[in-house]
Amino acid sequence: MEITNFNVLLAVLIIVPVVFGIVAYFSPWDKLRSLSIVLCSVIVAAAGLLITIEPNNKFELPGSEMIATILEVGIVAVILFIAVKIKNWLIILMSLVQMGVIIAEIILANTGHTVAHTYDFATDPLTKILILITSIVGPIIAVYAIGYMKSHQEHAPPTAASLGQFFFFFIAFLGFMNGLVMANNLKWFSFFWEATTLCSYMLIGQDGGESKKNAERALLINTFGGTAMVIGVLWLVVENKTESFEGLLLAKAVIPMVLLCVAAFTKSALLPFQSWLLGAMIAPTPVSALLHSATMVKAGSYLVLRVTPGFHDSTKVMMVITFIGALTFAGAALLAVTQSNAKRVLAYSTISNLGLVVACAGINTPLAYAAALAIICFHAISKGLLFLCVGRIEQKIGSRDIEDMGGILYRMPVTTSVALIGMMSMLLPPFGMLLSKWMAIEATIRSPLILIFIILGSALTVFFWSKWIGRIQTSSYHPKFNKETMDPAMGFSLVTLALGVLLTGVGSMWIFNKFFAPITREVFASRTDISDVLWNVFTAAGNFAAVTLFVAVGIAFLAYWLLVWRRFKESDVRLPYLCGENAESTVYTTSAFHNSEGTRSYAFRSMGDKIENSWSSTTYLKNFICEKKATIWLNLIAWVIIIILLGEAHLL
Amino acid sequence: MMDKINWTQWIIIAVSLVAAPFIGALISGLDRKVTARMQGRKGPPVIQPFYDIIKLFSKQPVALHKLQILYAFLHLVFMMLVVVLLAMGQDLLMILFAHAFSTICLVLGGMSVRSPYSRIGSMRKIMQMLAYEPILILIIVAIYLQTDSFLASSVMNMPKPMLWSMPLLFLAFLCAVAIKLNKSPFDVSTSHHAHQELIKGITVEYAGPYLGIIEIAHFYETAILFFIIMVFWQTNLYIGFGLETLAFVAILILDNTFSRLTTTWMLKYMWSIPLFLSIANIIWLWSK
Amino acid sequence: MFNAVSKSPWVVHFNCNSCNGCDIEFLACLTPHYDVERFGILHIGNPKHADVLVVTGSVNNRNARVLQNVYNQIPDPKVVVAMGVCTSSGGVFAGCYNILGGVDIVIPVDVFVPGCPPRPEAMIDGIVKAVGILERKRKGEVFPTAPKPTHTFKPSEEQSAEKTVIKEEKTV
Repeated sequence: MEITNFNVLLAVLIIVPVVFGIVAYFSPWDKLRSLSIVLCSVIVAAAGLLITIEPNNKFELPGSEMIATILEVGIVAVILFIAVKIKNWLIILMSLVQMGVIIAEIILANTGHTVAHTYDFATDPLTKILILITSIVGPIIAVYAIGYMKSHQEHAPPTAASLGQFFFFFIAFLGFMNGLVMANNLKWFSFFWEATTLCSYMLIGQDGGESKKNAERALLINTFGGTAMVIGVLWLVVENKTESFEGLLLAKAVIPMVLLCVAAFTKSALLPFQSWLLGAMIAPTPVSALLHSATMVKAGSYLVLRVTPGFHDSTKVMMVITFIGALTFAGAALLAVTQSNAKRVLAYSTISNLGLVVACAGINTPLAYAAALAIICFHAISKGLLFLCVGRIEQKIGSRDIEDMGGILYRMPVTTSVALIGMMSMLLPPFGMLLSKWMAIEATIRSPLILIFIILGSALTVFFWSKWIGRIQTSSYHPKFNKETMDPAMGFSLVTLALGVLLTGVGSMWIFNKFFAPITREVFASRTDISDVLWNVFTAAGNFAAVTLFVAVGIAFLAYWLLVWRRFKESDVRLPYLCGENAESTVYTTSAFHNSEGTRSYAFRSMGDKIENSWSSTTYLKNFICEKKATIWLNLIAWVIIIILLGEAHLL
Repeated sequence: MMDKINWTQWIIIAVSLVAAPFIGALISGLDRKVTARMQGRKGPPVIQPFYDIIKLFSKQPVALHKLQILYAFLHLVFMMLVVVLLAMGQDLLMILFAHAFSTICLVLGGMSVRSPYSRIGSMRKIMQMLAYEPILILIIVAIYLQTDSFLASSVMNMPKPMLWSMPLLFLAFLCAVAIKLNKSPFDVSTSHHAHQELIKGITVEYAGPYLGIIEIAHFYETAILFFIIMVFWQTNLYIGFGLETLAFVAILILDNTFSRLTTTWMLKYMWSIPLFLSIANIIWLWSK
Repeated sequence: MFNAVSKSPWVVHFNCNSCNGCDIEFLACLTPHYDVERFGILHIGNPKHADVLVVTGSVNNRNARVLQNVYNQIPDPKVVVAMGVCTSSGGVFAGCYNILGGVDIVIPVDVFVPGCPPRPEAMIDGIVKAVGILERKRKGEVFPTAPKPTHTFKPSEEQSAEKTVIKEEKTV
């Protein structure tokens, strides 16, 4: 084993975060812990960038079989121990099954059942994208967490775990995630998979008390996925004598692929497994940002993207996978419309977008693949940013409800602007998410059923984002904005991610043509079943004149600045129209408006000159869509589809 | 990236940008005149919208705060962008998204002020968008199924008129046009005449030149919509013009005979009958 | 800009404490029989979009503030047309315990239209006169409040020599 740049970077990316996590756990002073986190972030970010520039490479660890098996046994034992402690019989059962499978594999290996030995870790373009996301967005969120957890711990209930434990799992998670995306050997992959499950469990249960139940639910569903995964790996070892992704794709083994996909669905919280992600929103916001939007849930979609290109022959299986993704996309968007809790809206939106990625992966054409890559990238940055903003807003106003978020444009202009950038990037051209959604629609065009879901889903997406964007920038007239003071760590991460969103938005077509298009061509180079039409659509998408959108936005801002910004006088300000019964004075005066930031209601004079409040809320369509009933129906349909998926696999 | 646009294309873009609001204003004026005649009265002159706009720009620029004005500008600029993209023959889905962006900016402008009428009008406008967007996307899908391309310029190359292959979609599109032009029974968010409920809805807090900007954007939108109706018979644009006139009269009759219905009715209706018709048309095209 | 404001005067209508007689007559102007829309007049419900404020009824403690509020929300240039005798002197309600007086004690009025209620033709005359004043206001002229009516005119006989003089009791 030589020491090459690649090997060093690999080791750094996986091991350094774990080491720093241990340092953070044991450090007695907050300042030391913060310093070590910052140091770790810088190192990991640098390593991530460097490994992306390195050409694709492979790495084989001597003795990795034994190390991987020991680690796997270890992690399953830990989960078993936790399950026994919390007395959840299902998890105990599933962990025992996992343990049994691993022992069976050990027995098989020792009784001469040879397995094709391949390299353990590798980087290829898909891996590099995810490494970039984990190593750049991850540390930024870690820096945010330093600032956020300071005030979080002050209000934490007595059952909360210590900051040391929090940061151990938080930072170590970065290493596990990097290992997960770089693993080619499925044993290592399952180990990292279970490790991220463990991190998720510990982090969700950070505050103790009520959140333990949600953490348990997350553990249950993720362990179910993990069990499916190890069974799939065992099948692969027994039937096809291989235990790597490469082997899986070469052997075109459908059953293990389907089991891996089921595991991916649980990790990515697609229907019917979405309840754990909603419950996980009880965790502190940095956890939601890092694990449950930007990185861990992406592991599931990464897995689907990795295995599906080799299985385009199994059209029925692909169709069912696409259907689950599309159903999730539309169903989660439908449910998001009814939510007024900000984090739940973000959770449903995440689930929805992950469903779209899986749908694109199942369609298996160049444009769909590129769309999936684009969604993964742009969504990670935007959603991470949004969670950070919601965390900051929640700390300032003390509420997670969207209805309470009116008037923050004046009180926290920087945070609100950043949140606006984040939300607009999820929804509007010229940002990346819209371009990816556009590509997804174009890619699904040949399958009408999927198309209907995608169309309905995107219409609903516009609906719930517009409501929220409108609400946070309701304000009255103020001659000057408030100067906002923020914890520097939080400020740094918000501004950096916002800049990231803006830059990737401006450069989205460039990124598409420079990175995603070549990756797609490489992946699909060997495919002969892609018609010219599909390639033409793919190329035409890359030629889109996104510059016109930016020019338009620029013209609007320029016209606004020239004609309005400098000429707007206070004497031109008027009161809103309340049929003349405004409770404020009849003309605008500075003092009258300082008390009027509450935007839930509008004070007006009623009979006897009594001041009453009128209240207009945003539409949640609660008469149409009952969340519980809709969830039950959607879950039912999704379970039927999962069973069909498993059935299709056995038939082939 | 895009190929260099030659001079002809620049001229077409410039002419479209300048001509579209004039055409839209004339259509609006004609709308009011014909409505008046239907009601047995004389009605304003056909160029009345021009007088309205000029008057609006000479009024004092009153507003509630500066942010809503920015949204009015964005609304207008993106509507102009839709015209430009159509003239360049660009990707239809992107044109649709630019149009949606424009409407969303109007909605956000309405929501950015602390006014209950404005807020309710914005909510209803979003519901309107929810109601008609699936149909528009399905039209684009139908075009793709026939031409294998998403570009607007490929529509002009189709051998047969679009109306022949997309009749049900055309009917659904007429419903969508009625919603976008705020005609009864869909004038739930803002309307030119009916202000009993919401006192002008979204535009209630816009005045003077800012209202003028929104009105000009509305003219652009009218011109775009009627142009698309004309293009449904793209092989012979004279017949297309006749189709456009028929559609105009049909929408006017709809407007004058129906009273305003509720937003929930609009959603339920648009997501059942027109959507079902559109899906049927798509399935027919797909299986051909 | 040429004088477009006289071609497109948008009207907002506010009822202070009128018996609704003037309101009904005003709305009759919008019907096909009289059809003011052919002059470009639109009945807009929103003061921010309006040029002409048509007021009926007289001012009491409650609606003084509201009338002031609505008036302030109309952007310049604007004119006020006060319809009916209640707006100038209190009309049939003059001397009542809650009436503070005519509309001109709260806002500057440009045209008083006498009558109880004025006929639609008189109202249209009044609005046309107000639009003329509006045009001159847009050019920058400043106008004082119009004098209150002391005579009743029949529109068709305005030019004729017959004028009926009705003595108004001065109230407030």
